[in-house]
Amino acid sequence: MSDVATDTHKLAKSFDATQFLTKYSTVLALLALVIFNLIFTKHFISVQTLNVNLTQVATIVIVGVGMTLVIATGGIDLSVGSMMAISGAIAPLIFLGTAVHISEIHLSVAVAMIVAVTTAGAFGWFNGWLITHFRIQPIIATLVLFIAGRGIAQVSTNGNLQPFKLGEFQWIGLGRWLGVPVQVVIMIALVAIAAWVLRRSLFGRQILAIGGNEQAARLSGIPVARVKRWVYCISGLCSGIAGLVVIAINSSSDANLVGLGMELDAIAAVAVGGTLLSGGRATVTGTLVGALIIQLVRYTLLSNGVPDDVAKLVKAALIVLAVWLQRQSRA
Amino acid sequence: MTLINRRAALLMTVGIVGAFAATALADGLPKLAVKKTYKVGFAQTESNNPWRLAQTASMKAEAEKLGWQLVYTDAAGSAAKQVADVNSMIAQGVDAIFLSPREEKPLIPAVMAAKKAGIPLFLIDRNVDANLAKGGTDYVTFIGSDFLKEGTTAGENLVKLTGGKAIILELEGSTGSSPANDRKKGFDAVIAKNPDMKIVASQTGDFNRDKGRQVAEALLQAHPEATVIYAHNDEMAIGAISALEAAGKVPGKDVTVVSIDGEKDALQAIIDGKMAFSVECNPKFGPAAYAAAMAYAKGDTLPPTMTNTDRFFDKSNAKDSMADSY
Repeated sequence: MSDVATDTHKLAKSFDATQFLTKYSTVLALLALVIFNLIFTKHFISVQTLNVNLTQVATIVIVGVGMTLVIATGGIDLSVGSMMAISGAIAPLIFLGTAVHISEIHLSVAVAMIVAVTTAGAFGWFNGWLITHFRIQPIIATLVLFIAGRGIAQVSTNGNLQPFKLGEFQWIGLGRWLGVPVQVVIMIALVAIAAWVLRRSLFGRQILAIGGNEQAARLSGIPVARVKRWVYCISGLCSGIAGLVVIAINSSSDANLVGLGMELDAIAAVAVGGTLLSGGRATVTGTLVGALIIQLVRYTLLSNGVPDDVAKLVKAALIVLAVWLQRQSRA
Repeated sequence: MTLINRRAALLMTVGIVGAFAATALADGLPKLAVKKTYKVGFAQTESNNPWRLAQTASMKAEAEKLGWQLVYTDAAGSAAKQVADVNSMIAQGVDAIFLSPREEKPLIPAVMAAKKAGIPLFLIDRNVDANLAKGGTDYVTFIGSDFLKEGTTAGENLVKLTGGKAIILELEGSTGSSPANDRKKGFDAVIAKNPDMKIVASQTGDFNRDKGRQVAEALLQAHPEATVIYAHNDEMAIGAISALEAAGKVPGKDVTVVSIDGEKDALQAIIDGKMAFSVECNPKFGPAAYAAAMAYAKGDTLPPTMTNTDRFFDKSNAKDSMADSY
């Protein structure tokens, strides 16, 4: 796997059309979609269109950031949707006073958010522990929590919907900061931090080294187990935040539905974005672009009157195309 | 293979199927013995909204009241799991099965399996495809609301409310489910008779709040001229209200929201002036369902469909109806 190791710049050394296409394929696809919409979709040029698409894509990107790091190590995390459900179930239990009663509302909301996100992070850490301690394949280890996690969320709420109306909490999904929706700010911040970590920090280089060649990484003294546990923990934390955003937008938490199918959306965004699914090469900004493409495809089909079912087919075709392009760049 | 051979094979298949159908017809409906208490199964389709929770609660409460044993399953939105659920009820030897089929066609095997096992099956709330299974021969009866009429009622009241002038966005329920099919059919037929009313977009929101909101956001953006949103259930309507608010529009003023079900949150939205009306679809099935089973055991012939009477909620009665709402 050394040929696909850390440095992407090597590929661009000798310029030709195929390589240009593979390198910028995702950005080009996004541009093509935007141009298509400018021509065919009515009322596309407006701030509100941007708002709708960014707020809808935010949760996928937030989860996708964690997923990108996990996939960069050569792993995968199927449990993100379930961890969203757990976080989404726990927070209202606290700020509605069902489980513990805290009379000061701001304190109660703060405790709820911290406990919810930390719990999701802890579950993520548990994934990492299963993977590193027992050497279980990531797809199996996270499958455990994919199944059990939603069960935990359902049991803790008896499977009931928890409706609420609480401005002190819902700013995370409905509020705006300098005119930009809060979840979009969170999304951009997370993407920026993760991109910096992957590119510049020691931790980021360790992640990529493990994904490129785990054996070599271990032999060169990288604490493989610790790095992996942290990566899965981060994925859990991101899922926890996304869970809070989803329930805040909907003014209700439904353990059966929060984050349902999110793992696939996140993995699709990562794959379309150009991160190598076998690890060793990752781009967080690519994930952002990938998620935007998937979102824009859905929006385009919806606003032009094509049923949602067809959108799923197009989404699948995009993934196939992305993987094909990846193979081209390897050859 | 020649055409003739194929035709012969087809004829033979038809013959065999016909023979099976004839024997099934001869067998007729399974009987239900008269007993003091029964062990019955209730196969719920999903529990993702207040309506379903109210329905389950009603089935459980009434069973407890009668002292019956209830085997409860939740298919979590999967038709395949629901078929498996019914099969496991058959294996557990229940006396009767109450089924809320998720979709019209995929649940036919479950209905037929129960019939073959000699267990009477009652459809509640949603129906199956009438061409493939019939009330009175394949299952005992269908107890539920008339979804077609709900759609028509919503349409007629919208005509009254808007004076026959509207640009409408429709949020459909789960694709292929009987309430989605009929609520669309009934409503669209009324709208088609009014030349100044137009449905500019109709997309599925899968009966759920989050999806309904996302779809409404996209549709509102593509059709900012819309004056009415018609949702096939209250959850999607509430999602649409959040979408309207996010788009800086005033629900109830810029855009009229109308829907079906009559759950608590919807009544509150009507009181707040955000929703115009909601056609009731009563989820409290327990008493009616078990009463039908007992009547059937006694030998009464039940009609193939039994329709609930549904109310209509708007500003005039929303407040008074809050108390017994769900």
